[in-house]
Amino acid sequence: MAKLGIMSFAHMHAYSYAAAINELAEAELFAIWDDDAARGKAAADQFKAPFMANRDAFLASGLDGVIICSENVKHRAMVEAAAKAGKWILCEKPLATTIEDAQAMIDVCKKTGVGLGTAFPCRYVAPLMAAKEDLDSGRFGTIYAAACTNNGSFPGGWFADEKLSGGGATMDHTVHVVDLLRWMFGKEVTKVYCENGNLIREGIGTDDVGSLHFEMEGGIKVSHIASWNRSKSFPTWGDVTMEIIAENGVLNVDAFNQKVNVYNDTAMKAEWVPWGDNADLGLVSDFAAACDEKRDPAITGYDGLKAVEVTVAAYKSAKSGEMVSV
Amino acid sequence: MNVALIGCSGMGVHHAGHATKAGFKIVACGDAIKERAVELASQYGADATTDCLSLCKRDDVDVVAVLTPTPFHTEYVVAAAEAGKNIFCEKPFGRTLEQCNTGIAAAEKAGVKLFVGHVVRYFQEFETIKAQIDAGKVGKVGFVRTYRGGICPVGAGNWFRDWDMSGGVTMDTIIHDFDWIRYVFGDPAQVFSQNLREQFDKAIDYAMVTFRMKSGIIVNTIGTWAHPGGFRVKVEVCGDNGMLQFDSSEAPLSVMMRETASGMPGMIVPGSPVGVSPYELEWHDFKNWLDGKGRPRVTPQDGVWAVRMALAALESADTGKPVAFN
Repeated sequence: MAKLGIMSFAHMHAYSYAAAINELAEAELFAIWDDDAARGKAAADQFKAPFMANRDAFLASGLDGVIICSENVKHRAMVEAAAKAGKWILCEKPLATTIEDAQAMIDVCKKTGVGLGTAFPCRYVAPLMAAKEDLDSGRFGTIYAAACTNNGSFPGGWFADEKLSGGGATMDHTVHVVDLLRWMFGKEVTKVYCENGNLIREGIGTDDVGSLHFEMEGGIKVSHIASWNRSKSFPTWGDVTMEIIAENGVLNVDAFNQKVNVYNDTAMKAEWVPWGDNADLGLVSDFAAACDEKRDPAITGYDGLKAVEVTVAAYKSAKSGEMVSV
Repeated sequence: MNVALIGCSGMGVHHAGHATKAGFKIVACGDAIKERAVELASQYGADATTDCLSLCKRDDVDVVAVLTPTPFHTEYVVAAAEAGKNIFCEKPFGRTLEQCNTGIAAAEKAGVKLFVGHVVRYFQEFETIKAQIDAGKVGKVGFVRTYRGGICPVGAGNWFRDWDMSGGVTMDTIIHDFDWIRYVFGDPAQVFSQNLREQFDKAIDYAMVTFRMKSGIIVNTIGTWAHPGGFRVKVEVCGDNGMLQFDSSEAPLSVMMRETASGMPGMIVPGSPVGVSPYELEWHDFKNWLDGKGRPRVTPQDGVWAVRMALAALESADTGKPVAFN
């Protein structure tokens, strides 16, 4: 059984990863560390795991691996500390906010001989897995184009503070779909165009809508919307959708469209209650196995880097007004 | 008020019915293919001819309806104007800006009324969307996404699949959305676009367009002639106090036949019946103008602007660079 720790609960996904660890037989939530002690202690109480205030003591406590869910810009320092302590690492997306940071994280893990994974749970979302399997069967023939979205609600807090997040919705909601495109098509993004801005909630200090265009190897053309455009009254948090145009047909996947529509008079707001499989279980289960087997997680640091490269290119394009090469 | 129809295939048949309902009388039908002209004319007790230019000169004709493939519009617009007839021209107004300007100049010089059939401005769902935006239901708009299309149309002599004639899904189909976007959100500042043109298959086009409006709003428009069947329209508008969505696939009526004339099982064709068709409404609006009652919702310059937007999108897709509107 893999003894796993969580470093920082700044990113809300830490809570669902902690719950996944507790649900899985092959993993144990061994310890929690957070640079915000109050937040860490509350999470430790919630998930019945010990909180450790000292990072070095936490890393020396007998853990096999750590899941890092800090603010984006703090990923690198935590990965470096964990790698030097010989811990296997699963890092929340985006892996980093710069190519330099992402590369440094990959390098330190290679040097210290630990596995590094990027948390792209979409690869464990059943409808997306089924879509990939269908594409892999070959019956669609050549892929021509895709129109995608990763819309979301405004997350607030440090997500809108570029000093901690590195960017807004374009930073937050480009990497999932880039990773899915690379994974499904087996091709890299070569060029990026991006129009973005703070257009929905005035004065948040960062972009909350991005309209991106990619060119991929093989001449595949892609449109992608990365946004925090969902209103507070919208019945769910957001979406991941892909319309894939291919030689022999069209594949549409609306990844989280497994829901029951609920209309409750107390809430006075429609709610889409999801019933699909919990993708975090697949992600965390693979990480636990990677720790046990001393191998890289299935979704690697390199995968994280490739998505960071596209995001960095998107901001470069938004600034220059031109399509830029990755 | 007597109408001469030029172009008696798909749009000719369609408009003959709606113009008649709006109080016009079809007196002459012209088409390069004689059988087609005869067939349509016989339904309305009208004359048929292959000499379309002669129709423009008939004394008993008040209005010439130009319903030919796009590149031939201007020739008949000019002939009708020179004969002093008022003109109903199907969208796109022209295939090039030169054609558009020639048509406008001829109508102005002759002092005739010219109407361009941007029918989406008359669709009840689109008018409801506009009314909701105008009423402030979504607050200040920051992002818009539209989607339109289905199978690649065929048309007389397969002209839709001839890129130079039709301009693909961008010039022929999502020009509807371009016009509506400008109608509701004002003039665009620049456009970036990708499409499939003839990259893979002549019968498949798919366009992904991003407009930055002068107001700062980002608009993403997807157009498809890449689907094996069906037709779908979607709209999403996001603002600082809410959002709205429309999806034509959520229709009140749908049918699926066990067997069809072709021997193939029929696909589900969603229907959205209304008492007065938007096509009839545009003929009413045109008629009111002819009767000296008010101005129509679409001006000739709107028709030119829509072509400008489509041409700029095509140019961007060809060059890989954004194109600015001056």
